[in-house]
Amino acid sequence: MKIRLFCVAGMSTSLLVNRMREAAARRGEDVDIRAYAESDMEKCLDGVDVALLGPQSRLALKKARTLCEPRRIPVAVIPVAIYSEMDGEKALDFARESLANIRGGKTNE
Amino acid sequence: MSEEERRILQLVIQGGDARCAAMEAIEAAREGKFARAEVLLEQSGQTLALAHSAQTDMLQEELGREQGSVTLLMVHAQDHLMSAITVRDLAREIVELYRREERAR
Repeated sequence: MKIRLFCVAGMSTSLLVNRMREAAARRGEDVDIRAYAESDMEKCLDGVDVALLGPQSRLALKKARTLCEPRRIPVAVIPVAIYSEMDGEKALDFARESLANIRGGKTNE
Repeated sequence: MSEEERRILQLVIQGGDARCAAMEAIEAAREGKFARAEVLLEQSGQTLALAHSAQTDMLQEELGREQGSVTLLMVHAQDHLMSAITVRDLAREIVELYRREERAR
């Protein structure tokens, strides 16, 4: 699974990326996770399964949808509760849920 | 995660939240929803006040220590906070401009 996280500068989300990688390693899952600045989103969506935004970037959700929806990539804002705790496990679960929702035909809010 | 990191992340989140609310206030004013714009500006200001007071506490604690440590994460959090303050200040002006434009019609 290829997960991309986006925030204003791609900096604080990169902390969460580390936590998610650790969580994935503990679970023995093969996941490719990286963080980028939201302004670079268009260049970073090739082959991506899920795009997640930091809660401080919720304004970018509209633009993110216009980029992700034509590519059938689910996009969602990471809940503050997960983000503020930098909870890699829950963030990984959240990414999976977002992917499951779009496959099940539900839209992400 | 250390308590220090948790507090810094809180600044990032609050800064981002305040910036988003200020931008949403501009959007509301553009659509003529001035009451909504005011609520959003107020929310933005309240979030900034919380973040600012947390930052002040952290700065004062640092002054009380012999040697403070500067982390890139803290610099980044302050960057978020300062840019949010700028966006909120400008948003107030922009909302006011939209209001004048509406009155002039």
